[in-house]
Amino acid sequence: MKGKILSIQSHVVHGYVGNKAATFPLQYKGWDVDAINTVQFSNHPGYGHFSGFRSTPEELEEIIEKGLLKGLDIKYDAVITGYLPSVEGLSRVWKLIKRMEESTPGLKVIVDPVLGDNGRLYVPEETVPIYRDILKQSRVFLATPNQFEIETLTGVAITDQKTLKASIDRFHELYPRVDNVIATSVVLPALKDVCLISACSDYETRSAFFFEVPKIGAHFSGSGDLLSALLLDALVPGQQDLVTALNKSLSLVESILQRTYELNELALKLESPKKINDLKLIECRDLLKVDPPLKYTPQQL
Amino acid sequence: MPRLLATQSHVVHGYVGNKAATFPLQCLGWDVDCVNSVQFSNHTGYGADLIFGSIASEKDLELLLTGVSDFDDYDALLSGYLPTDAAVSTMGRFYTQMKQKNASVIWLLDPVMGDDGQLYVNENVVPIYRALVSSSLVDVMTPNHFELELLYGSNISNKNELKSALAHFHKTVPAIVVTSCSRDLFEDGSHIYCVASLRGTRPVVFRIPVIDSYFTGVGDMFSALLLDRLYRMFEAGRRTFAEEVNHVLNVLHNVLELTLKHSPKNVKAVMGQPKEMKQMELRTIESRDLYDRKSSAHNFIYKPL
Repeated sequence: MKGKILSIQSHVVHGYVGNKAATFPLQYKGWDVDAINTVQFSNHPGYGHFSGFRSTPEELEEIIEKGLLKGLDIKYDAVITGYLPSVEGLSRVWKLIKRMEESTPGLKVIVDPVLGDNGRLYVPEETVPIYRDILKQSRVFLATPNQFEIETLTGVAITDQKTLKASIDRFHELYPRVDNVIATSVVLPALKDVCLISACSDYETRSAFFFEVPKIGAHFSGSGDLLSALLLDALVPGQQDLVTALNKSLSLVESILQRTYELNELALKLESPKKINDLKLIECRDLLKVDPPLKYTPQQL
Repeated sequence: MPRLLATQSHVVHGYVGNKAATFPLQCLGWDVDCVNSVQFSNHTGYGADLIFGSIASEKDLELLLTGVSDFDDYDALLSGYLPTDAAVSTMGRFYTQMKQKNASVIWLLDPVMGDDGQLYVNENVVPIYRALVSSSLVDVMTPNHFELELLYGSNISNKNELKSALAHFHKTVPAIVVTSCSRDLFEDGSHIYCVASLRGTRPVVFRIPVIDSYFTGVGDMFSALLLDRLYRMFEAGRRTFAEEVNHVLNVLHNVLELTLKHSPKNVKAVMGQPKEMKQMELRTIESRDLYDRKSSAHNFIYKPL
C-alpha cells in the first residue's frame, strides 16, 4: 500500500467522474482510498438528464470529524477534494481539513477548486469567495484549477502565454500558502484548434512551465478528475519534480482518452464522436500498471 | 466489458458491501455501477457508537434506480446489505423489472439478514426476500445457514433437512451457495463448511480451515467474485459449478492470508474495538493481483452432501 487518501468528491452510479474517476486509478496504483461522496447521482449532468441527491453538510462533517478522525484516528497521507455543491458543506469540510493539517505534519492537501468551466459557473456564486478564503488560509500542496477557475480566482483573463504567466503569478501573490499550482485545459486563441495547454508553477521558485497537448477532438467528462488523481499519485510520494509529474500524468491521461475515443468509435460506429460521456477506465487498467512514456516537452513560460 | 449494477452499503473507511465488491470486480474487467444504500464512516463491527453517516431513503433509491434503468445495459445484478424493508423492496422492484425486460441478465441475491441466530435487519425484510427468492427471477443466492433457515421458515439441523431445503429453493433458484453451515451439521469446529448446489446436480460440501480472527466483508467479496465466475460459466454454457466455487474460495483464502500477513502479530479483531478492527480490514488493495489468478492451489471440495 502506498498510503492513505481521503477523497471528497461526487459519486455517480453510472460512469466515471468525481470519486468514480479518481478511486479506481488510485486503488489500482496501490492507494487505500477512503471516499466520501458529496452527492450521489445516477450519472453526471452532461448526459442532459440525471437524478439523485446531495449529502447534507452535517453528514459530511460527522463522518469526517466524529467517524474518521475521532473515532478511528486515521492518519491520512493526502486529502483530495473536488465537486462540493453546497456552500455550507464546503465551509464545514474545509474547517476540518484545516484542523487535520495542523495535527498531521506532512499531510498533503490537493484541491480542485471546482467552480465551473468554459466561462460558466456551475456552483452557487457564494462558492467563489469561499474558495478564495480556503486557498488563502489553508496550507495547500497542490491546486488544479482549469482556465475558467484560475481566471475567476485571480481576476486575470488568459488570452496568450503572457497573460497565462500573469495569471499564475497573480495566483502566487494572492495565495502564498499554496505550494504548487497547475492550470489545466487552457485554450489559447492562437492555438485553439491544435492543442490544450497545461501549465505548472511552484511558489518557491516561481518558475512556470507549460505543455502543449494535441487535441483529440472530443469532450471527455471526468478527464480533469482523473488528472488530479494521477497528479496525486505522481507527486505525493515526493520523489518527482512538478514538471515531470505533470508530464507523466498528462501522458497517461492522453493514453486513456485515446483508447476511450477508439472504443467509442468502434462501439458507436461513429466517424468522430464529439462528446464522450464515460471514460473507459476499466479497459485501461493495463495502462495504469506501468509508468507511461513521457510524451511532451516542457516549455518555459 | 460486462457491466454490473450493485445495490448495497458504502463505507468511507474499510472494505465491506460495495467497497469489498467493487475493486475486485473492476480488476476482473467489470464496469461496476454502485447504488449506495447507506454512506457510513465505517462498518458496524467498530461499535454502534462509532457509526456516522446516513441511510438513503426509499425515494433516494428510487431516484437512482430510475436514473440508471434508462441505460438498460446491465449484464449482471447484485444486491447485498440493505438496512430496511423499504430498501429491499425498492431494489427488488427495479431488479425484477430489469430481469423481466432482459432474461439473460444474471441476478445474484445475497439475502443479508443476520448470522449465528441473530437478526441484524428489520424482521419485515424476511417476507420480502422470500417473495424475491420464489419469483423465479433470481439466478444465484448466497445465504448463510441462519439466513437459509429464515427464508425456509424452519430450522435446519441435519443434512437431510438441508437437502430438503435446497430442493425446495431449487424450484425457483438455479444456483445456491450456503456460505457457512452451522457447526452442528458437521460436528467439527476447526473448519468452515459451505454447501454449493446447482439445480439438477448433487450438492457439494466444501471444507475450509478456520482462520481465528474476525473478518468483515468476506461474504460481500465472496458474492462479487462468485457472480463473476458464474456469469462466465453461464456464458460458456458450462456446468462447472463446484470448480467455480472452489476457485472463489481459493481467491478469498489468499486474500485472508495476505490480510493476516499485513496485520501485526497476535492481533485479533474483536467487535467494538476500533483499533484492532482497523487492522483486520481486508487488504483489498494489496490483493490486486490475486483476483484474476487462473489456478487454484487448494482443493476445498470435501464430499457430496
